[in-house]
Amino acid sequence: MANLNLTLKVWRQDTPQSKGSIQTYQANEIPEEASFLEMLDIVNEGLVIAGQEPIHYDHDCREGICGMCSLTINGVPHSGGLVSKVTTCQLHMRKFKDGDTIWIEPFRAEAFPLLRDLIVDRSALDNIIAAGGFIEVRTGSAPEANTMPIRKKTSEAAFDAAACIGCGACVASCKNSSAMLFTSAKAAHLNLLPQGQPEKHKRVLAMVRQMDNLGFGNCTNQYECEAACPKGISVDNIAKLNRDYIIACAAEGVGVYA
Amino acid sequence: MKDIITTICQFVTSSVGRKVIVALTGACLLLFLVGHLAGNMTIYGGLGGGNETSWINHYAQGLHAMPAWLLWAIRLGLLAVLLVHIGFTLVLKWENVNARTKYQKEGTLKATLASRTMVLTGVTIFCFMVFHLWQLTYNGDPANCYEHIVHAFINPWCSLFYIAAISCLFMHVRHGFQSVFQSIGLSTRKIRPIFDLAAIAFGLVICGGYISIPLAVLAGIIR
Repeated sequence: MANLNLTLKVWRQDTPQSKGSIQTYQANEIPEEASFLEMLDIVNEGLVIAGQEPIHYDHDCREGICGMCSLTINGVPHSGGLVSKVTTCQLHMRKFKDGDTIWIEPFRAEAFPLLRDLIVDRSALDNIIAAGGFIEVRTGSAPEANTMPIRKKTSEAAFDAAACIGCGACVASCKNSSAMLFTSAKAAHLNLLPQGQPEKHKRVLAMVRQMDNLGFGNCTNQYECEAACPKGISVDNIAKLNRDYIIACAAEGVGVYA
Repeated sequence: MKDIITTICQFVTSSVGRKVIVALTGACLLLFLVGHLAGNMTIYGGLGGGNETSWINHYAQGLHAMPAWLLWAIRLGLLAVLLVHIGFTLVLKWENVNARTKYQKEGTLKATLASRTMVLTGVTIFCFMVFHLWQLTYNGDPANCYEHIVHAFINPWCSLFYIAAISCLFMHVRHGFQSVFQSIGLSTRKIRPIFDLAAIAFGLVICGGYISIPLAVLAGIIR
């Protein structure tokens, strides 16, 4: 296994208010089998030994399911466009070449205020869920499978939408910082299923209105979000949300639902 | 009634609602492009006899023979659709610019050049349209339409300007066409590639048709 010598251009910013800048670091002798975050750990060890402040970044499970990774590599969230459908923690250094220069920046959007270095506050996504991404009644524990027949195609689509880990890569990759892919996935996985039907209109209206209030941009159908999504969430969900929103507005206008 | 008005207000101020309005007005403008091209193609009818035999003169005179109120209703209707399309787009763009923080190093995976330059191509088309209306409608004469067009396009700079503007229109239509279906919620994984191909085909046919006229004048086919 060959080791890599890399140049890192990393966004450093001490506080949300301070002015950040790109700092250059050398990452030497990085094993090819290291994950991207392990590479940052190695660099941080060197910084700590040298008495400098380590690079702050978000991470948790390191197995691609928690959605905490929040950095962009060469302007693309998570994977830098080197591999599709992976989070940063699942990206391995073997995808890079010796001598590469790598730009590392936080997920950028006005709705994601920067906290420190590569860490951003993604509570805005939680606020969208809190507005309507749930079922209000207690549904009890898991029922016997197949007690409620659901078409396989529908359940698959709902499951695909539910695979969203809420990392915010869709917002970070969008040229308009729109949260449509996230919102649409969270709405679709409930709206597709029978359990989600009673509150469907209310949910769609509440989630879209909350999304608009939080300062996200507007979708311009560039599908950059789908390409950057580590879970491969489809923009079909966005079309569905648009459709559901039109219907929900019509229902609200004529007073079909309270 | 209050509910309906409140809902309409919320719809036209929401991100999705405004996108739907931009999509529907865009679709109207796409239909206008088809109608306008169909009219333009009459220039190829009755070639060789100049103003005397040209079909486009009959077509132009036919348009002007419509009752004035109808002609102006169509014109003002189109203007209203255009202004709504532009107005909503500019507001959306303004919000999008404000919602985004720029990266020091930008990366793009999938967004096409056409999709990223919609406002630029749109503004170019609008400027072209103002010039086009001034040149061929305001200063035009329905009885003399054929010669007026030949006279305009025999100037290579004028033809080049038209070709460049129509190329911008191709870019705009190429993204806009398939975007209409996504924005009004009629797109799915299976049909999206078809809409995408249809957008290119539509753009090529429409813009190819428009560009053919200055090219035909320069090539001496229309003289």
